[in-house]
Amino acid sequence: MAGQGAVDRGPAAVGAARRRSLPAFLDARLDVLLLIVMTLIVIIVIGRLNPAWFAIGTLQTAASQNAPLAIVAVAMTFSIISGNIDLSPGSMIALTGVIVGLVFEGTGNLGVGICAGFAFSIAVGLVHAQLVARLGINAIIVTLAAYVWARGLAIGLTGANAIDINTPFVTLMNTFSLAGISLPVAMAIVAYLLGWFLLNRTTMGRYTFAMGGDLRAAERAGINIPRQTMLIFGFMGAMIAVGTVITISQVAGAQPLEQQGFELDAIIAVIVGGSTLTGGQGSVLQTLAGVIFITALNSGLGNLGLPDANYSFIKGAIILLALALQAGARRLAARRLRARHATQGGARDVRAVGVP
Amino acid sequence: MRVPSRLRASLPMEAERDAVAPRTANRIGSGLQRLGILLLAGLLFAIFSATSSDFSSQANIDNILIQISVLAVVSIGETVVMLLRGIDLSVGSVVLLSSVVMSALSVNHHVPLVLAIGAALILSLLIGCINGVLTAFIGIEPIIVTLATLMVVQGLDEVILSQNGSWIQVLDPFFTSLYVNQVLFLPVMAVITFVLYAVAAILMQNTPFGRNVYAVGGNARAARLAGINVMTVKMAAYAIAGLCAGIAGLLETAQVGTISQNIASGLEFSAVTAVLVGGLSLTGGAGSVLNTLIGATIFGMINNYLTLKDFSIYYKQAVSGFLILIAVILINVGRFGHMREER
Repeated sequence: MAGQGAVDRGPAAVGAARRRSLPAFLDARLDVLLLIVMTLIVIIVIGRLNPAWFAIGTLQTAASQNAPLAIVAVAMTFSIISGNIDLSPGSMIALTGVIVGLVFEGTGNLGVGICAGFAFSIAVGLVHAQLVARLGINAIIVTLAAYVWARGLAIGLTGANAIDINTPFVTLMNTFSLAGISLPVAMAIVAYLLGWFLLNRTTMGRYTFAMGGDLRAAERAGINIPRQTMLIFGFMGAMIAVGTVITISQVAGAQPLEQQGFELDAIIAVIVGGSTLTGGQGSVLQTLAGVIFITALNSGLGNLGLPDANYSFIKGAIILLALALQAGARRLAARRLRARHATQGGARDVRAVGVP
Repeated sequence: MRVPSRLRASLPMEAERDAVAPRTANRIGSGLQRLGILLLAGLLFAIFSATSSDFSSQANIDNILIQISVLAVVSIGETVVMLLRGIDLSVGSVVLLSSVVMSALSVNHHVPLVLAIGAALILSLLIGCINGVLTAFIGIEPIIVTLATLMVVQGLDEVILSQNGSWIQVLDPFFTSLYVNQVLFLPVMAVITFVLYAVAAILMQNTPFGRNVYAVGGNARAARLAGINVMTVKMAAYAIAGLCAGIAGLLETAQVGTISQNIASGLEFSAVTAVLVGGLSLTGGAGSVLNTLIGATIFGMINNYLTLKDFSIYYKQAVSGFLILIAVILINVGRFGHMREER
């Protein structure tokens, strides 16, 4: 029942709940089902090409390595459902890492460093929210600027050198595992549970959908838009900080050039999961399906021993193919929905279905 | 189930916006806005000239004009796409593709220069068309499509480069002359840029295509009902973006001389920034290529000034990011006041 809340709580999704027959359910989930099938195909094909990849150890490594992506994708889901977007996470993870590293160097205490990192990252999120909600500047612009300045500041503060962080905590993060689940993966699981709860069981989630559906209507309905925007961007800041802690542990240090292109993976994961950039739709569980797809691609293609050039070429081509197939699936579903409406004599609204 | 909800949510808003924001208001707003951006550019020029004696010298101004030419030409196509509420993030990789293909063909495979340039431009146009088909006809979000083509084309660039020894030096006198020569006291590259902007401005303001772009960007549904072929307009916009990136790739070749993998990295974000500093409204229908030229100039002046001032190379990116944010805030605060009255 992935993402059921998304449909139920989407503004004006009246009537959706009434049509619960199996074909209708399949139609509504066609794009996600397709994504799951494509993920399986990717895994099987790469497994055939490289049997050594097909191991439980690979799965554990891939999951740990992509845990920051999975965690930031939760917050990105909120951002995109609310009609915003965030292009800053890759640069912000690098900068937050540098701040953690500098405070750690100054105080000798990683705990203080991590607290400083959280405070900084959340503060940046709140400033972004102010610019978006109070000044009315589009989130793309605000976060695009952060994409530039945060990376620049990370490079500037360190002179482009890495800061070594090697403490028992880092060792613990890298080695501890319970029943095959490493700490980063455990954090990702908690992030998804938290994200699901916030989105489907709290007013924050309900208002997030309302903002994405129709911002003006949400405002007129009495929702405090600046406050909700601060919650959404602050949540992003917190998730970025968690991603930073994991990233720092994995490389045992803060690297200013860390995680380039990260935000793009996160956005693509959310979108192939079925959220739309126009806002108002999406679900955390569907995002998880998108993250698994991207993780399979990253890990599978990375382990094939391809030269970098072929890697990005093939990854991009597979993502394009996946997107095109999904768009086709959505059209098909829309056409069937239209047919069903027509037979029920309720053909209202459906003329524009499937029109991009 | 999902699409009708989106439709119902968005329709009243669009109808309402068309009712409250008639064309004339937009036009006055955009006139004010161009004035604001020009003032900002003038202010920056004054500050930079006052604090750096070299900044306003003839040689340095020529330098800025040459430096911004690649960005400015790429930004033409980006403007057209963004007027349609789209975005093209693949332009940086297409710029590189164009210069790589051109130089690989002419230098390493001894193809005549004209044919090599033609091949590079056609290939760039083709990439633009692929973006257009995927967004307009198949209906995938532009930001995602162009991200994926960015990856694909980047891979292609690297493959071609690695087969040609990872860097290619272009010594053809044609490209050297583009960089060195002057026409009417202006560098050739600046003249090319201005001519392209003049063509684009005429295309956008005095032809049916330009009017259609504004109409579709303002309200795609209304435009379709008015008989405009929305898909063709979108398709053409992405094709133009590809072609502009191709032309910019040739200018880049003239500028750097040696083609390697990183010459155009991050250019797509610079182009989007130039368009946004030019004050283009992301909610559609408002903005112009001439504003974008001013935006690109602001961007170029900031970078040039930071270099002149011997700013630590490590902090340069951070400072230019902050300055861009400030510029965008200033421009948007102006527009916000204008929007508020409408409410």
